[in-house]
Amino acid sequence: MSAEQTVTFRQEQIAAYARASGDENPIHLDDRFAKSVGLPGVIAHGMLQMSIAAVVAARAAGGPLKLRRVACRFAGMVRPGDTVTFSAEETDDAGRLALKAVNQDGDVILTKGVAEYSTED
Amino acid sequence: MGIEGKQYDPVTVDIDSEHVAAFAWAIGADPAEGVPPTYAAVYCLGATAPQLFGDSDAAVDFGRLLHAEQEFTWERHPEVGEKVTSQATVTSDQNRRGLRFVTLEADSKSEAGEQLCHSRALFVIRSA
Repeated sequence: MSAEQTVTFRQEQIAAYARASGDENPIHLDDRFAKSVGLPGVIAHGMLQMSIAAVVAARAAGGPLKLRRVACRFAGMVRPGDTVTFSAEETDDAGRLALKAVNQDGDVILTKGVAEYSTED
Repeated sequence: MGIEGKQYDPVTVDIDSEHVAAFAWAIGADPAEGVPPTYAAVYCLGATAPQLFGDSDAAVDFGRLLHAEQEFTWERHPEVGEKVTSQATVTSDQNRRGLRFVTLEADSKSEAGEQLCHSRALFVIRSA
């Protein structure tokens, strides 16, 4: 099975992820700080992007506990207000999904995305 | 080069239901389906990466650090109530074209010593 989900990132969700994950790097929370280190403004955590991709992969796999491997490269920045479509597509290999995430401008933000899952019940 | 090969002390994390629920909520997962797999960002990567970031020998400029790649592999997902112990090693530290690339790998084990998760994170640190 394949699965897809579109998410519009909000600063509140990024802040909730920062608190829940313990990753409170100010590049995710403080616009002025983010700009001071050469970023366009605050950016979402790569791990938030990967976590949403893994939720979509879990749906395709038949449940989160079936996931055995998730990997990706964080290829583009996600900023508050961006709308990203995450997808997990079956490949020719059993138990292997291709993960993709593309923003509203068509920019690919996750590359080399892969999830593997147990095909046993 | 750099701090390649450096291993940090093991860190133990309680898989706490309230914390797991907050994490699940933030990523849009259903906490009723168990501990979200990428909660490994907390018990495996998140438990150990601050040791690297706070290591004066490593001299990582946190504000210029970007998470470039991540891989998790699981033998089993932990359950709420377990204690998970994770230990990290810097497996690569290289400079290329004005950027520093640091790979941090970590293994998480159950109280019985059973392998749960392996994490491989690639961090890129931009020059000031």
